[in-house]
Amino acid sequence: MRRSTPRWLRVAAVGLAVGSLVVACSGRSTTGGSDGEVTLTINFWGDFGLQDLKTKYEADHPNVKIALNSGEYNAQHEDLQKKLIAGSGAPDIAAIDEGFIVQFRSQADKFVNLLDKDAGRYETNYLPWKWKQSLSADGTTQIGLGTDVGGLAMCYRTDLFAAAELPTARDQVSALWPTWEKFLEVGQGYTAKTGKKFVDNATNLFNPILGQQPVGFYDESEQLQMAGGPKVAFDFAVKAADAGLSANLTSFQADWDKGFTSGAFAVLPCPAWMLGHIQNTAPGTKGKWDIAAVPGGGGNWGGSFLTVPKQGRNVYEAYKFVEWLIQPEQQIEVFKKVGNLPSQPALYSDPAIAEYQNEFFSSAPVGQIFPRMAEGLTPQYFGRKNGPTRVAVENVINRVQNGTLTPDAAWAEAIKEAGKASR
Amino acid sequence: MPTTRAAPDPATRRPRPTPVRSSTWRDRLHRFDVRYVPYLLIAPFFLLFLVFGLFPMVFNGVVALRHWRLDDPELTGWAGTENFRRLLTDGDFGNALYNTSGIFLLSTVPQLLLALIIASMLNRRLRAQTWWRVGALLPYITPITASTLVFNVFFSRDFGMANWALGLLGIGTETPIDWRADKLHSWIAIATMVNWKWIGYNALLYLAAMQSIPRDVYEASALDGAGPWRQLWRITVPMIRPVVIFTVVLSTIGGLQLFTEPMLFDLNAQTARGGAGGEWQTVAQLIYKVGWKDLNLGYAAAMSWALFLIILVVAALNTLLTNRISGGRR
Repeated sequence: MRRSTPRWLRVAAVGLAVGSLVVACSGRSTTGGSDGEVTLTINFWGDFGLQDLKTKYEADHPNVKIALNSGEYNAQHEDLQKKLIAGSGAPDIAAIDEGFIVQFRSQADKFVNLLDKDAGRYETNYLPWKWKQSLSADGTTQIGLGTDVGGLAMCYRTDLFAAAELPTARDQVSALWPTWEKFLEVGQGYTAKTGKKFVDNATNLFNPILGQQPVGFYDESEQLQMAGGPKVAFDFAVKAADAGLSANLTSFQADWDKGFTSGAFAVLPCPAWMLGHIQNTAPGTKGKWDIAAVPGGGGNWGGSFLTVPKQGRNVYEAYKFVEWLIQPEQQIEVFKKVGNLPSQPALYSDPAIAEYQNEFFSSAPVGQIFPRMAEGLTPQYFGRKNGPTRVAVENVINRVQNGTLTPDAAWAEAIKEAGKASR
Repeated sequence: MPTTRAAPDPATRRPRPTPVRSSTWRDRLHRFDVRYVPYLLIAPFFLLFLVFGLFPMVFNGVVALRHWRLDDPELTGWAGTENFRRLLTDGDFGNALYNTSGIFLLSTVPQLLLALIIASMLNRRLRAQTWWRVGALLPYITPITASTLVFNVFFSRDFGMANWALGLLGIGTETPIDWRADKLHSWIAIATMVNWKWIGYNALLYLAAMQSIPRDVYEASALDGAGPWRQLWRITVPMIRPVVIFTVVLSTIGGLQLFTEPMLFDLNAQTARGGAGGEWQTVAQLIYKVGWKDLNLGYAAAMSWALFLIILVVAALNTLLTNRISGGRR
């Protein structure tokens, strides 16, 4: 999962539930005994597909209550960092995205070492790189267990494609854009024909293309490497913006969400976790979407880990819940519910995933599309300052889009802003 | 005899100490009452001020002289004046200061002028006087966050009422104004929110002051042929000068600390950037970003001290200026 804005109603309902839970339980024992009641708080962003699982777990464990706390992507990570330094206030379970994991695994002493909890036996279940991402540099501390991986694909609106006289079958659409250059041409054709914008936002081209590069913002010695991967992705994103393909809608904001329903854009690069957001945001567009291959081959964008901060009061119960969540049964249920692709490759051959077709996306075989992407992947190294650096560069792209920065001046500005964020 | 003589002795002696003792006790109580009780009564404020006002300020000053980064616990210790020296060359701080002064001018000046005019209108005989006065105060009691969210929709690029209204006048029909794209437009949008909220509040302050001006002054000036406009500037403003100065100082402090409106005007408030290029990032917002986003508390503390000094200087200048403008013509 990557960032996403929570749905208003759900959040309000969860907030109320959490509030009343906290009030109801505050007077009671918070130790992990079998007779006392514990409240586990779990912080994440967007939709981790936990609503039903929470109910189920609570029914099986009458002494455990679970408080779901969904927030904004960047804010949740910053908040966790503050609490770790302050020494108190962190949730029992904190989700961390791969874009931030290096920053936290370098503070491994602030998390429960899951290897001490015998989590080592799950190592072989995981994609090897996924297991390593949350392992401390010396290999002795595992701070988190992986939930999902991003994978990459391209979601598109079949109805809008038909209106622009483009093919609509997913194989034909994939064949339209073997490379990003071709993708740009298709987009220009679409915009010329319909007068509408092709993609939602140039930053959502920047991120997947960056994900396809061998080296991202930072190399393994923590040096900012703007001239490599970032330059390739940036140049293309600016080119697309300059060609007028972008609807210039800020991701995970109200206008962006409105864009899904109003057809403000026809394609959207979508990692597996994006499917849940589209379904939640624009239920009325069911059947109008389909999923094709992404130009440029494999790449990853997003994917999370569940960690147990040491300062939590219910470390024992927290780990038990995390362990339960990463079991195949629960992972498959999350996949079906919100699309998050498990990071345990053994599950990809499970018929429940392999044969799964998502009705919302014209019955696209998502159980085939995303695992293919995830298996043949060499993931990037993310530096400690990856999160803030990405926000800074995205902002420069946004300035090109709203016309306050010329494409020629943009790259120098991106280097400057990224340099500031890296300090 | 001894008994008769002895009898009054204790009697006269006994009552004597009693009044003496009670009078010293009363005396002490009285002295205590006069000397110390006032201090006791005003103590709660000063205790609270010590704990919540002075201590944070002093502590902030200490932090400003240190390295303190939450994301890098290793980097700690005294920084000396390094944080302050960094301020002088920090482009972001310069930009934020520029934005803050721009929005400050766009909001304070029209705000106080309009408040004066509205107050002088409310000061006349009107039908439904109370209704108008309550109406002027309504924006003030609306929570800032609520009104800002409404203004966000109002200034939306694609579906906003501001663009719709301008479109009726034939402005921006081709390409609607993107209120968040450049400095001037975003400043106007934010200044509008500030003005909307504070005009009524200031107007009521002015109105209260105006009601103490004797009517016959106006009657006399009317006989001399002074119109309403001339009366406002030559009589009303000079006569309510203390209140004018008070509102100027107050809105200087508020304007230079502007935070909520620019923060929530951002589409993704979490970035605390004030627009993609920091178009409307104010100093208060920058302090928040440096402290809680970049987790550099030492530098953020130095910024807040700098802002404190800037406010002191600007408020003093404004007071002088207002004093001259409203009273200097005597």
